[in-house]
Amino acid sequence: MSEKREKPIERVLWGAASLLVVTYALIPVAWMVSLSLKRSADLGDDRFLPRVVSFEHYEAVFRDPQFSAALRNSIGIGAISSLAAVLLGMFAAYAIARLDFPGRRLILGAALSIAMFPPVSIIGPLFNMWRTLGLYDTWLGLILPYMTFTLPLAIWTLSAFFREIPWELERAARVDGATPVQAFVHVIAPLAAPGVFTAAILVFIFAWNDFLFAISLTSTNDARTAPAAIAFFTGSSRFEQPTGSIAAASVVVTLPIIVIVLAFQRRIVSGLTAGAVKG
Amino acid sequence: MSARRMAERRLAWLLCAPAATAMLLVTAYPMLYASWLSLFRYDLRFPDERQLVGLDNYVSVLTSEAWWQALFNTTLITLGSVSCELILGFVFALVMHRAVLGLRLVRTALLVPYGIITVVAAMSWRFAFDPTTGFVNALLGLEGAWLAERWSAFFIIIQTEIWKTTPFMGLLLLAGLTLVPVDLLRAARVDGANAVQRFFKVTLPLMRPVMLVALLFRTLDAFRIFDTVFVQTRGAQSTDTVSIVGYDALITRLNLGLGSAVSVLIFLCVLAIAALYVKGLGVDVADREAP
Amino acid sequence: MTSSSTWFILSFAAVISMGGCQRSSPQRPKLRWYVFDEPSGAFERAAKRCSESSEDRYTIEVAPLPADADQQREQLVRRLAAGDSSIDIIGMDVIWTAELAEAGWILPWPEDLASKAREGRLSSIVDTASYEDELWAVPFTTNAQLLWYRADRVKEPPATWEQMIRMAEDLGDRGTIQAQGERYEGLTVFFISLLASAGGSVLGPDGDTVSLDEEPTRQALSIMQRLAKSPATDPSLATTREDQARLAFETGESTFMINYTFVWPSAKSNAPEVASHMRWARWPSVLEGKPSRVTVGGINLGVGAHTRHPGLAREAALCLASEHNQRLAATMGGLPPSTATLYDDPAVRETFPFADLLRETLRDAVHRPKTPLYVDVSLAISHTLHPMRDVEPAEDTERLRDAVQRALRSEGLL
Repeated sequence: MSEKREKPIERVLWGAASLLVVTYALIPVAWMVSLSLKRSADLGDDRFLPRVVSFEHYEAVFRDPQFSAALRNSIGIGAISSLAAVLLGMFAAYAIARLDFPGRRLILGAALSIAMFPPVSIIGPLFNMWRTLGLYDTWLGLILPYMTFTLPLAIWTLSAFFREIPWELERAARVDGATPVQAFVHVIAPLAAPGVFTAAILVFIFAWNDFLFAISLTSTNDARTAPAAIAFFTGSSRFEQPTGSIAAASVVVTLPIIVIVLAFQRRIVSGLTAGAVKG
Repeated sequence: MSARRMAERRLAWLLCAPAATAMLLVTAYPMLYASWLSLFRYDLRFPDERQLVGLDNYVSVLTSEAWWQALFNTTLITLGSVSCELILGFVFALVMHRAVLGLRLVRTALLVPYGIITVVAAMSWRFAFDPTTGFVNALLGLEGAWLAERWSAFFIIIQTEIWKTTPFMGLLLLAGLTLVPVDLLRAARVDGANAVQRFFKVTLPLMRPVMLVALLFRTLDAFRIFDTVFVQTRGAQSTDTVSIVGYDALITRLNLGLGSAVSVLIFLCVLAIAALYVKGLGVDVADREAP
Repeated sequence: MTSSSTWFILSFAAVISMGGCQRSSPQRPKLRWYVFDEPSGAFERAAKRCSESSEDRYTIEVAPLPADADQQREQLVRRLAAGDSSIDIIGMDVIWTAELAEAGWILPWPEDLASKAREGRLSSIVDTASYEDELWAVPFTTNAQLLWYRADRVKEPPATWEQMIRMAEDLGDRGTIQAQGERYEGLTVFFISLLASAGGSVLGPDGDTVSLDEEPTRQALSIMQRLAKSPATDPSLATTREDQARLAFETGESTFMINYTFVWPSAKSNAPEVASHMRWARWPSVLEGKPSRVTVGGINLGVGAHTRHPGLAREAALCLASEHNQRLAATMGGLPPSTATLYDDPAVRETFPFADLLRETLRDAVHRPKTPLYVDVSLAISHTLHPMRDVEPAEDTERLRDAVQRALRSEGLL
């Protein structure tokens, strides 16, 4: 740090600014938690905090078979998409970071254009293709677009990580008679594991978050994910707005993200910024 | 070319093949298919009436008030949110840069908006501003229904976007900030430059590449806005965005011909924005990854 | 042959034979009933009862859809377009009949079963399940709006909209009127009820030309404008749906509300104080001396075109919509029955103390335009008339005609 010897007043100001930033970032989350703990009758009481803490909305949410199905779908689809994207991304990133071949820029260019691609432009054709192929409202029907749209992220993050790896070790292994594949599996893969893990987390967050594909390519508990389920929540009568249930369900789906963020914040930050900063 | 190099190339192509295939099959092919469909009158509710109509769908979209209004709305949301995010993102980055003690806390807190589901964020802000369930009106002593008026609805949509994505911007800018050499800042200080001058004369120019890349991605991201608007207004109060218009034509009305024309137009808009950044501002994206 | 291709062929054969096994033992067909998610469990119970009484010939499984009618349709129509054979029975909102029938996504009912399905049911409701001289579904539950008001603040319910708005304005702060003004199906319903009460209709009798006669359309639009601009209207009218109206009424701050019958059980349990002053009356009329005609809602049970068991599905649909199950839906879920005599049933009358009024309202209720392009027409109406406070009767009559005309040609964006 350039200015270690700040005046106390400056320290207080920066401290206050940090506090402000933290509050701003956390208010909507605190609000959802508070809303989810209010009793139904208190939902309109204009208060930020609940008068009486009640778990009725959580009970309602977990009693709803649609929500547990959606949670299952979200976890399953997210996990498989991450695995698939990271696997494919790993192969490509290895080639890009390590091997000399003319297609490198082509692959990077393709990844780049997909990162900028508007998903809404392909939901129509995808819907039409999926209904013909029988992929509509299936896990695979969502895994394919999630995997594809996160490939750029995976390729970038991974190639940034791969470039940091001491490749001399690989050469040493090759000299010892290992094939490139063996060298990769036994020497490089363990070193690359943290990067791979980071990429997997970022892909999972993307899949966990997606809404457009989820509402366009699914329609029932078979494959509908949590964001879609929350948006289509039903109240306790035909015309009721299920504010409390939405809040409780929102908190439930936000918890895993908070845990991931708390546990791996450094990794996530380095993964996010890897592509943009390292030239 | 040596056999070894040939083998290396073959391996490289082999390793890239699965990723390349996936990208071609799930984006390039559907995009071409969309361009093809956009030339037909094709409504899934009347499958027998499918016929080639040339550019009629484009004429229909481009002469409709709804498309231009949606384009205007999308541009407004994009400009409004991205410009605020840039400024606020710098503030966040500076705070994280200086607040050494609380860095972990601030960084963790900022990752929450990044990680949270957009639908959830949109719901939270919607409920917060709701006249019945919300706390904002009580706090400010107001009565109105924010999402019931066009401009206040835009305010809430834009502010939700800002809340959700500024942290990402802040983290990117922080990474750029750490690349600014300390010696340079110290030298400027010795030369008598004050904090503001140092920021604009030294820090900012050095951060330009990082900043432009961050801006490019956020602009394209904001232009695709769908979730927030879907949850908060569903396009009511004239807050339709191009993505909502496309979704309505494709998925609600199952009018694949008309909807595909909208899809192609959105794609062209995105291309234009990217071209503007790359050609106009000289963003150098492609070379960044060359090792 | 290499070992890997042998393995591939073997596993392929295994998959095929497994599929064959599954297909060859359809002992007890499972019928999937797609219907909105009814939280009281009345639909589940009906499904169970019918499965049991079928003597092992079928079981019905409820597949829940979102509560919001627009979203139900969106989900279902996509599945139907995808040719999904798991859709056996559909809980169809009354407005879908023409669209689903025309697209060939549901099956018409043969005359013998159709007459069974019509038996004893209110004719306005049977009409919602009919299209081009055929019956496409069996009527199950229905719905219509009533006027709810506070007997402690007004002695007599208003007879017309004009009277109601004036009464509300005279009451000052507490006179608020609750109606549905968000841009969604409910706004279309509101407009069509006003239009029908003024003697007009959206489409001509053939169903593919625009009617929207000058005089009634203007009258309907004037009331919308008058209501939206009146100080007696809730400021959040432009984002109010049925439930926001209910919630606002339950706070006790409002005196009048236009809404469906679900508000009654809700008020009794959530706001007993408000409920004790709550009374009901027929929807206000537009023209003095001419009773209002409201829009009919509800669910009819149709049979999906791709089902593997059309015969069983029709039989099951008839069972699900039986008087017994209608009574269940009414007493447990608060959904009004389609069979006229059930309004004399003691259990139903206990749930709906306003049963006679409701039946009378339903008798001359109107159906929303019968066209396969109904969704487009409805979007055109709600988009043109939202927000209500900007409605200009003279101009908007023209704009509305144009918008509906374009929708009927399925042209342009909405």
